[in-house]
Amino acid sequence: MNIYGKKIGLAILIALFPLVCAVFSFAESKGQEVPKKFLVPPPPFSPGIFPCSQCHKYMPVNKKQRKLEQMHQDITLKHMPGGWCFDCHNPDDRDKLRLANGKLISFDESYYLCAQCHGVVFRDWKAGLHGKRTGMWNGEKQYRLCVHCHWPHDPPFKPLQPLPPPARPADIK
Amino acid sequence: MVQAVAVRDFLIAFKEIMRGSKKYYAWLAFLSFLILLGLSAYIDQLNRGLITTAMRDQVSWGMYISNFTFLVGVAAAAVYLIIPAYVYKFKPIKEVALFGELLAITAITMCILFIIVDMGQPFRVWHILPVIGAMNFPSSLLAWDVIVLNGYLTVNIIIVFYVLYRISHGKEYLPSIWPLIILSIPMAVSIHTVTAFLYNGLPARPFWNASIVAPRFIASAFCSGPALMLIIFQIVRKIWKLDIENRAIFKIAELVAYAMAINLFLLGAEVFKEFYSGTIHVYPIKYLYFGLHGHANLVPWIWTATVLNIIAFILLLLPKTRENFLTLNMGCVFLIMGVYIEKGMGLVIPGFVPDTLGEIYEYIPTMQEIVVTVGIWAAGALMYTLLLKFTIPVYTGKVRFWKKALVASDAMSRKLVTVTPDTTVDEIGKILISKHISGLPVVDRDNRVIGVISESDIIYSEIQRDPHFVEKLGDLILPKEKRGEKLGNTAKDIMTSPAVTAFENTPLEELIKTITEKKIKRIVIVDKEGHPVGMVSRIDIVRELEKKENKHLVS
Amino acid sequence: MSKIRSNPLGVKLDRRTFLKGAALGLAGTALPLNKADASFWEAFFQKHFREMNDDEKKKVIQRLEKEYEQKYKKAIHIGSEKPMPGVLFGYGLDLSRCIGCRRCVYACVEENNQSIDPQVQWITVLRFKKGEKWIDLEESEKYYNPEQVPESGHFYMPVQCQQCENPPCVRACPTQATWKEPDGIVVVDYNWCIGCRYCMAACPYGARRFNWGEPKRPAEKINPNTHYLGNRPRYKGVVEKCTFCVQRTRNGRYPACVEICPVGARKFGNLLDPQSEIRYAIEHKRVFRLKEDLNTNPKFYYFFAYGR
Repeated sequence: MNIYGKKIGLAILIALFPLVCAVFSFAESKGQEVPKKFLVPPPPFSPGIFPCSQCHKYMPVNKKQRKLEQMHQDITLKHMPGGWCFDCHNPDDRDKLRLANGKLISFDESYYLCAQCHGVVFRDWKAGLHGKRTGMWNGEKQYRLCVHCHWPHDPPFKPLQPLPPPARPADIK
Repeated sequence: MVQAVAVRDFLIAFKEIMRGSKKYYAWLAFLSFLILLGLSAYIDQLNRGLITTAMRDQVSWGMYISNFTFLVGVAAAAVYLIIPAYVYKFKPIKEVALFGELLAITAITMCILFIIVDMGQPFRVWHILPVIGAMNFPSSLLAWDVIVLNGYLTVNIIIVFYVLYRISHGKEYLPSIWPLIILSIPMAVSIHTVTAFLYNGLPARPFWNASIVAPRFIASAFCSGPALMLIIFQIVRKIWKLDIENRAIFKIAELVAYAMAINLFLLGAEVFKEFYSGTIHVYPIKYLYFGLHGHANLVPWIWTATVLNIIAFILLLLPKTRENFLTLNMGCVFLIMGVYIEKGMGLVIPGFVPDTLGEIYEYIPTMQEIVVTVGIWAAGALMYTLLLKFTIPVYTGKVRFWKKALVASDAMSRKLVTVTPDTTVDEIGKILISKHISGLPVVDRDNRVIGVISESDIIYSEIQRDPHFVEKLGDLILPKEKRGEKLGNTAKDIMTSPAVTAFENTPLEELIKTITEKKIKRIVIVDKEGHPVGMVSRIDIVRELEKKENKHLVS
Repeated sequence: MSKIRSNPLGVKLDRRTFLKGAALGLAGTALPLNKADASFWEAFFQKHFREMNDDEKKKVIQRLEKEYEQKYKKAIHIGSEKPMPGVLFGYGLDLSRCIGCRRCVYACVEENNQSIDPQVQWITVLRFKKGEKWIDLEESEKYYNPEQVPESGHFYMPVQCQQCENPPCVRACPTQATWKEPDGIVVVDYNWCIGCRYCMAACPYGARRFNWGEPKRPAEKINPNTHYLGNRPRYKGVVEKCTFCVQRTRNGRYPACVEICPVGARKFGNLLDPQSEIRYAIEHKRVFRLKEDLNTNPKFYYFFAYGR
């Protein structure tokens, strides 16, 4: 090929770029046999708190952003500055979460909610790279929900006490 | 029959080992005590495991392997001495060979002991053997080491046994065993090289993974081994009155100095490369010479070694100090100590400090390790003592396995008069008459026998007084004055040369055979340097055979 | 293999048995007699694991199971699962995630029956300072013990057997007591190791451990599901090491350290399977292997998934 051929090829490629993108995004959404449902343990609710509807069923919906005083005072939202409960929780059916596009999902599918912002992490998580998986390396694997490690209202992983350091060689007797 | 003889020989040898002065017994008792201590410490180690040592995962080899490494050098280097001995045609070449091989046998035995005590599962040692075990050959350098060390041990044992066997039967041994002795030299190089490669071949340990390791091993072995041999020579010379020349000792010391020069140069080359390039490889050598992160256990040791080596180098290099036995021995001892530190713990420990993950564990051997180590050294000293005690009397002819078979020294007359080649026939005649002897050896300036003169030679020369036709012809060509002494006038003209000689330990049986076959009347008995010590004439043999108890002993 | 010869009694002796018989006569005098029962000699003359056929392996395993049962008063199963075809194990460790909590160290000890006294641990967690030098092993700290991890300004790197494709330890072993299995795991036959520790000198990763004393572990803490080449109880004076939990992974399970890791920094899978998470890590992340210049080709990949 001569240099012109290369340039023409490049031009065609640039012209077709939107199309190529579309095809790939289609493949992304359609292909890659990623199971829609991941095997996860139940979400880490505080005891007795779920279903939310057991209380909220009888309460009027107050969409006003405010400081909570009667319940959930312990929650200080340290996630997404300026965020509010209904960015994620569904005001009408409290036992569901709500995606930005209005789609309701259950708590054990919360990763779709997280994925709205953390797309790269979600991709790694699906591949088994981000987060913990247990089970069979060549078979059924149990995933963990994002919220198992990252409390959604204050997501950074909480420090742990390390287990004891090894014995120094001089102390092994 | 053969077995019975072997058992008898063994008993004779054993008797010789058991004989000795109070000092000798005290020495043996002292060594045995140390061995027992070492053995009890080792049994404790066997029961509790190597946890009784200071070795841990971070520093997984310690004092045992350090001693092993040093001793491989000793084993190899004693044999290296054969090279200068051969090149310079030293008289004590046979002693060098013999005592060197004995030292090699002892050192390798100690090496094997040090490996055994270092093993976690010593009873499984057979796993390392070929055929019955699963020797990882040629992949593992340790497998190579097993092969070369045992091969070297075998060759040395064969040499020593053959030499002793020949000597004890009064036979010459050097020519027939010479090829094997020569073979032992490259083998000595091989045990050293393979042991160096054992360390050298580990990329995990930058301190060892340097091409200079093998050359440094050999250079330092050329120092420590011969230095040890020099000290042994002197001890042997003193206790057993063996004839070892000063000249040879000084020459060896000189060679040791050159080897040390090379060793110091290689060390310098290594130090430069590591410190100047300053890669991560510098940490172990930094730890060794200057300490690392405040850990500096080896620093005083390695500097002591370096200083000792340099002092020894100077002492052995300068002719004045080299040829003074006080400073010579100081040099030798310094050098052995220096190399022991440098090629022992100074080589092994920095391989592990810092360890592969950067941890620094300062290894200090436990008392138990030291006691086991001392025990093995005592075992080595005991082994070498007994080997010498057994070997030297055989070597000097004091002990013969064929105790009752007569040898030359039993029959020979020690009344010995020698003449030089220039002694006149007249003088010789007068000597024969005045001393009541029938013949005498002619010796050269170095007191080496070059011929024999007997009564008949003198009579024959008288007959020949009338110049021969050829001689008359010669007078025509060259005036008499210019031809020097006239034929027939001096010893060299009438002597029978070369002389038929034998050693003091040559069996009488052989002498009789020679006398009858060659139709001669007397044999000059010489020592191993060729100096005459006596004569055996036909009447001496008859006299000896007439002694009743000897009658049946000569077939 | 070895020559078979028959004697007048019709007993067939191969060369190996014959030589061993000769050696037995010699060794008999040197060994403690109170131990000289049949099983002692069976253990003494036990063949190399790879030279045994399935029947012999079964016999040996039965004997060992009996021995362990006598010692620990509980049934211990010794498996001998073979490598799966088409599998080459690989391991990934996300340094951007590891918080240095040492959960893996102790999970490994529990799973693999390491000695508690004297302490044996297969995993070493190193702490490094962020800043100038990053992964400079000389600056590593192994004995850190803060109230909480992770500590600011630090990162952590666990090190264990890297299961090299070109393992220097295997090359070094004089008795072939350690070797690389077809699934890539480097294993040790604890009944063949002579305890010379040349492999430890040869390992660039400080991954091998020696039983300096009699390994001690309370019977109730013994994991009874073992593998001959893996976590069965060991002996004094032999070398041991991480086997990627061969007793688990050859049955499809994740290694214990992977399952315990609270941050999911540990990844494991089949390098030959393009869908495996280890392949995903290698293909999508910035991976490196420890001491790559030594050409050991570890199958243990360190990677940084994200800055945060």
